[in-house]
Amino acid sequence: MSATVTPDTAKATKKNFLNALKEALTEEMERNPMMIIQGEDVGLLGGAFGVTEGLQEQFGTHRVVDMPISEAAIIGSAVGMALNGMTVVCEMQFIDFISCGFDQIVNNMATYHYRTAGEVNMPIVVRGPAGGYSGGALYHSQMNEAWFANSPGLQIVCPSTPSDAKGLLKAAIRSGNPTIFYEVKNLYRDSKIAEDLPEGDYLVPLGKAAIRRPGKDLTYVTYGQNVYHCLQAAETLAGQGIEAEVIDLRTLVPLDEATILESIKRTNRLVVVNEAPMTCGFAGEVVARMSDLAFEYLDAPPVRVTRLDTPVPWVEPLERYVLPSVDDIVNAGLRVAKF
Amino acid sequence: MSATTVSAKEGHKPPHQLLSKEDCLEIFKQLFLARYFDVRLIKEKKRGRLKGTLYSSHNQEAVIVGSLYGLESTDWISPIHRDMPGFFLKDAKFRWRDENRIGMSIKEVCSQVWGRSDSPGRARDNWSHIGRRSANIIHSTSMLAGTIPVAAGVAYADRMKGGNAVVVTYNGEGSTAQGVFHEAINYAAVHKLPVVTIIENNQWAYGTPTHLEYSLEDFARRADGYGIPGLVADGQDVFDVYDKVMEAVSFSRAGNGPSIVECKTFRAYGHGDHDDDRAAKYRPTQGVEEGRKRDPIAICRAKLLDWGYLSKEEAGLYMAEGKGSAQTTNEDFPPEVVEYLNEGIEFALASPVPPAEEGGKWVFKEIS
Repeated sequence: MSATVTPDTAKATKKNFLNALKEALTEEMERNPMMIIQGEDVGLLGGAFGVTEGLQEQFGTHRVVDMPISEAAIIGSAVGMALNGMTVVCEMQFIDFISCGFDQIVNNMATYHYRTAGEVNMPIVVRGPAGGYSGGALYHSQMNEAWFANSPGLQIVCPSTPSDAKGLLKAAIRSGNPTIFYEVKNLYRDSKIAEDLPEGDYLVPLGKAAIRRPGKDLTYVTYGQNVYHCLQAAETLAGQGIEAEVIDLRTLVPLDEATILESIKRTNRLVVVNEAPMTCGFAGEVVARMSDLAFEYLDAPPVRVTRLDTPVPWVEPLERYVLPSVDDIVNAGLRVAKF
Repeated sequence: MSATTVSAKEGHKPPHQLLSKEDCLEIFKQLFLARYFDVRLIKEKKRGRLKGTLYSSHNQEAVIVGSLYGLESTDWISPIHRDMPGFFLKDAKFRWRDENRIGMSIKEVCSQVWGRSDSPGRARDNWSHIGRRSANIIHSTSMLAGTIPVAAGVAYADRMKGGNAVVVTYNGEGSTAQGVFHEAINYAAVHKLPVVTIIENNQWAYGTPTHLEYSLEDFARRADGYGIPGLVADGQDVFDVYDKVMEAVSFSRAGNGPSIVECKTFRAYGHGDHDDDRAAKYRPTQGVEEGRKRDPIAICRAKLLDWGYLSKEEAGLYMAEGKGSAQTTNEDFPPEVVEYLNEGIEFALASPVPPAEEGGKWVFKEIS
C-alpha cells in the first residue's frame, strides 16, 4: 500500500485490521513515554473488541487507563493532558457513544489550537468501532463523521485496510492535531482482508486518497467498508463493459481533492458512496466540491448513494433496507454511465 | 476530611495565622486591585473606549484573592469569566510586574480585553476567555464546568512528569448542574487527582436563583457523594477563603485527591454589565442590598485593624467599599493599584488589532 517508507517485506507477517491497530498503538506507546491510552474497559479487559488487549500488562495501569463511563471525562481530561505535554489515544467503546463527549470535542479539543493562536497543540486521537451492516441497531452502527467534518479543527480518518489502519493511526497520533478515527468493526477480524504488514515504523500520510481499482468510465468515491461494496459493484459493471474507478478517501479531513479531480478528468462521471445519512453528509460535500472544481469535466450529474435519512434499525431486512447495497451502487453507476 | 472535621481538628491552626503582616497587607492591596480592575473597565466602557461585556467580580474579590494567594508558582488554575483579576493575580505576590512569574501580566490581560495582538491568544476568543500554557492557566470556554475535566487531565500529566502541582478550578454554582461537573469530579476522585473545585456561589446564575439550580444547603454534602472533602468558606472573608483553599490544596498536594470548596458570596451587579438594568428587575432590591452589605474590602480592613496591621489613619486612606463604578474615583484606591492598571491599559491601546486574515489561521497545526 502507499507507505511513505518502503516496507521491509522480508519481515512481513499477515495481520488483520485489529492486530494492525494494536501494532500501531504498541509501537507509538514504545516510542513516546508521554503517550497514554484511555477509555472504558481498555485495560483489564483489553477493550470491548480487544484492540488494546495485552497493552496494560506491557505499559502499566497509569498508561493504559480504565476510565469511568464518561466520554466527557475521557476526552476532556485528554485535552488537559495534551495541554500539559502528553499524547492521548481515547477509545470510544462504540463510536456512537462519542456524542456523550461532544462538547469537549467540538468546543474544547477542536478549537484549542485556534484559540491559542497556535500555542497549544492537541495530539489526541479519539478512535472507536463504527459502522453498520452488523445488526448493531441504532446505537452500535453509526457513522457520524459529518458531525465532526462540520467542526473545524478536527482531522477525520477512516481506513479500510489493515496496512492503512496501522499507518494512518500512527500518522494521526504523531500529527499533533486532534483526530476522530473511524474503525470499521466489521473489518476487525475479517481474514479476507488480512495483509502482510511491514514490521518497521511506517506512516500513511493524512490527506492522501488511494485508488483501489483503476477505471475509465466512472469514479466511485468512498471510504470505510463501502470501499468493498464499490469494488464488488465495479466487478459487476465490468461484466457489462463499464470500467469503474474506485477511490478510497482514507482521510476525509484533510480531503484529497486532487486525486478525485484527476479521476473525474479521466472518467467524467462521479458517484459518491457512504453509509451515513444523505442530508448534510460527507458524500454531499464531495459532490459539492467537485461540482465546483470539475463542472466542465462532468458528463452526468454527480450522484450520492447513502443511507436513507433514518436511524439504523436492528433486524437484518430493515437494516439492509436503509443502508446502501451493492445493487444500489451498481444502479447509481449505470445511471451516470448511461446519462 | 470533611467540612466539620477540618475546623474541629485538635490543635488545628488556621493557615492564615501563619501569614506575615506584609502578606496580609499585600492581600488587602490585591483586593483593591481586583476591585479597581472591575470599576475601571466599566468606566472605560462608559467613556466609549472599550467594547464587550464585563462579567463583574465586584463583591467577589475575596474568593479570587484568597484562593490564589497560597498557591505555588507551579500550580495551575482555570478561572472563568467572572474571575478576570485571577488571570493577573496568579503568582503575583509582591511581584505584580515580574516578567518571570508564572501568571499573566496586566498588559496581557488588558490586551485581551481590548482585543489586541499582544493578548495571549491574539484576541481570537472573547475577553474573558484567556489562558496561557506557560502561565499555567487553563483556557476557559463558555461551556460551564467544561474546564474541570481539563484540569483533571492537566493534573494527571503533571503527575506523569513527576510534579506536585495542584490545579484549582473556578465555577459558579449554576455550573454544578452540568453533567460534566459530576463526570469530571468523579474521575478525579477515582484517580485521586489533585484538583480543587471552587464553587463561587454568588446566588445567581444569570437570571436563575440557587433554589432552581440545586436542592442542597451546601455543597459539602455533594462532595460526600464522591467520597472527597467538601469545605464551605465565607466568600466575603478573604482569610476564610485562604484557610479553606489552603486546607484543600494541602490535602491534594499530599496525594489524597480532589476536593470541593464552596465560597458563599453574592453577585453585586448583573450577570454582565449589559444586564445591570434587567438584573435590577429580576432580583429583589432588598436581597441585593443585603448581599452587598458584606463588602470583602471592609471585612478585610476590619481584621487588619483588629490585628494591629493597620493604624486607624492608614485604614481610612482608601474607601472603595460599598460603591459602584460610577461612585468611585481613583482616590478610593491605593495609587500603585491605579498605576498598574494604567500601564496595562496604555499598553493595550498601543497594541495593534490583529490583521483580519489571522481569522483564517491556526485551525490546524501545519503538518510538515
